[in-house]
Amino acid sequence: MRRIVVVGGSIAALTAAESLRAEGFEGQVTVLSEEAHHPYSRVPLSKGVLAGRQDAESAMLPPPGEDIEFRTGARAVRLDVPGRMVTLADGTQVPYDGLVVATGARARRLTGGNDLVVRTLDDAAALASRLAGAGSVIVVGGGFLGMEVATTCRALGLDVTVVDLVPPLLRLLGPWLADLAVAAARDHGIRVRVAPDGVEIAGEHYLRCGESVLEADVIVCAVGDLPNTDWLRDSGLPLDTGGGLVADACCRVAPGVVAAGDVVTREGRRTPHWTNAVEQGRAAATGLLHGASARPYRPDPYFWTEQSGLDIKISGELPLTGPPEVLAGSVADRSALLRWRHDGATATAVAVNHRLPVVKLKRLGAGAPAAAATPT
Amino acid sequence: MSRIVVDVERCEGHGLCEQTAPEVFRLDDDGELHLTHEEVAPERESAVAAAVRVCPVAALRLQP
Repeated sequence: MRRIVVVGGSIAALTAAESLRAEGFEGQVTVLSEEAHHPYSRVPLSKGVLAGRQDAESAMLPPPGEDIEFRTGARAVRLDVPGRMVTLADGTQVPYDGLVVATGARARRLTGGNDLVVRTLDDAAALASRLAGAGSVIVVGGGFLGMEVATTCRALGLDVTVVDLVPPLLRLLGPWLADLAVAAARDHGIRVRVAPDGVEIAGEHYLRCGESVLEADVIVCAVGDLPNTDWLRDSGLPLDTGGGLVADACCRVAPGVVAAGDVVTREGRRTPHWTNAVEQGRAAATGLLHGASARPYRPDPYFWTEQSGLDIKISGELPLTGPPEVLAGSVADRSALLRWRHDGATATAVAVNHRLPVVKLKRLGAGAPAAAATPT
Repeated sequence: MSRIVVDVERCEGHGLCEQTAPEVFRLDDDGELHLTHEEVAPERESAVAAAVRVCPVAALRLQP
């Protein structure tokens, strides 16, 4: 292999590119990013950047080394797998010997494309400027992102309502932890409205929920993300029904093609989280260079969120059923170290406003000795 | 030579830096981060930049 092309410009793409070098690949490495910006982290976008506490500069990631070519504004529109060729929006053809697909995901939108979302740096900047003159906001979607955006809007002094078809965080976390977080949200002054009959954006300031219509200065959508695989439609690469690119345990997709990050579906699901993007980026690099002899990637289920005055860190599988063991602290004070044990001797550990190094949390949760003892 | 700056308040002991550049970053049993070198030698520059980049909470910075 002489030339490896990485399509994508975020943390999975960069990690894959650097990992190729770390693994001793000496050929050409080219990263094609569609965004105009240099690489940045999405993590602070819903928090500090949106709140105006952090400028965009603080979200920027260290650029890749000089032995990696990083192209901005390079949007891939087509892939020819047998011909090993990526075509860009401007018609440029980029040949490769090895390909890493790390095109991530985009915000799902409820209307044709005008809804305000929080996915890219530009999205966050656009939303921040709209919030600056606003008094009220409706956040559609009660997942991690929606609740984080709601929290930030509250901190800006706005009147905030979160609307979802189901109680916020319920599907993600399970009832016990979702209840705790929603109670904290209400105490934080965030209104929560469940609209089982569906929601529909009915103009810039109106949201229809069943029979009633809610009004706010700004409506933000945080209703999930969609994998960026439109450019792969005709490639013959395996896409699942949700559009995710199907990869194996070593992140391999097809001969000469690997994938990493939010774009990937593995064992029937996507896991669009930071830790996962980093670990898949590494695994994709080794999978591409070493093929079947590469070490399979083992997912590390680790999630964190900051919302409504809660700092929640989770190691282990979700959602959670039943009440937890309280290992430290107090649930009433919303500061506790919690653990759920599952069938099969695995566990999920959760720290709520409880400072504990993440490596220790993982020893109690996904990395608990019982779980680690399962055959690898 | 650039220097590594750790924001100790932000560091939560995720350990991704250690996985990326174990010769420079080390977490002890309590999850506390230690640097074996604060100054980054030129041959380690890219590994350290990669480690700084993967920090989920942006607790690491490279100072020129």
